[in-house]
Amino acid sequence: MTVDQVLAEVRGMLIEIIGVEYALSLDIGMDTSFDADLELESIEFVRLATMLKDRYGDRVDFVGFLATKERDEIIGLTTGDVVTYIASCFTLSGAIDG
Amino acid sequence: MAEITANGVRFHVQRLAPRRRPHLLENPVVFIHGLGLDNLSSFYYTLANPVAHAGADVILYDQRGHGLSERPPAGYRISDSVGDLSAILGALGVKEPVHLVGHSYGGAIALRFALAYPELVTSMLLIEAHVPIPGWGEQMAANIRKVEQDLGDSDWGREMVSIRKYARLAAVGQNLINRTTFMTDLLAAEPIAEQELRMFTRPVRAVYGENSDVISHAHLLDAVLPECTLTVLPDLDHFVLARDARVLRAIVLDWFATQTAVGVS
Repeated sequence: MTVDQVLAEVRGMLIEIIGVEYALSLDIGMDTSFDADLELESIEFVRLATMLKDRYGDRVDFVGFLATKERDEIIGLTTGDVVTYIASCFTLSGAIDG
Repeated sequence: MAEITANGVRFHVQRLAPRRRPHLLENPVVFIHGLGLDNLSSFYYTLANPVAHAGADVILYDQRGHGLSERPPAGYRISDSVGDLSAILGALGVKEPVHLVGHSYGGAIALRFALAYPELVTSMLLIEAHVPIPGWGEQMAANIRKVEQDLGDSDWGREMVSIRKYARLAAVGQNLINRTTFMTDLLAAEPIAEQELRMFTRPVRAVYGENSDVISHAHLLDAVLPECTLTVLPDLDHFVLARDARVLRAIVLDWFATQTAVGVS
């Protein structure tokens, strides 16, 4: 999967979480911060992680991704950080799933 | 969404599979979060992923009325929460003993669960655990009223978090307080007797901040639990999980590295 494809999917998930109404005023891109821009609550980030796990399965190791990060780093993540990580997992495994 | 229905309530549950083999622990680790504005994310952000990454089967859940779980109008006694945990483990098919990690009020639930079902608990790790001693319910209720007042009457809440988060956070707390039996259930808490604590013979690790408002609970546990190891962290208060997850993580991983027992003696 390309970065653009992953970004489109992650953007869709974020809109579902924060609500279309709130998302209308935002242009969610790679630089969009979960905290400062989307004001994502901690529990909403957990929900995003669940959606990502459901979508990408074991090919993307979110436990490993998060295990090495401090709370402030997780809160400070951008959409691009997550998208780039997911895309890198696909590049490494060579797996493509439309 | 990871949702299961247990004890008649819809719960948000997260299960993190162990990433390393051989596994650090044979038995699952269950995280029980604190009260009011807390939810499973406080563990998810700090300890749960590292413990799973180290090689443990990790279970987290939002308690009733908290996080993404359902908020039923009643059933907020500790005994209800013990029933919830028991039903959640049943729904997940967990039959073996578990390691419990309880934070603050979640520690009170862990203690009550362990005393009710000692055969189902292989160890306990209590972080700033509240012990329901006589008068505890009244003190908790007073503390919660204070937080509610601060959230509603001042800029305290607005300074803490952004506007969208503030509105959600305040709503969660106020709904729990005003639309459920949460407060009356808290006031009706049945104290744990020292004699009950003396009966629990599995290993317990207790971690508290030196300046915690419940440091007396730490010393009580240390004095009466047969197998308690107490760690008091200097210069920290009740909020050790939020303030120094790095130190806590090292303690937790070290603790689990020594907990290899599968069954219960």
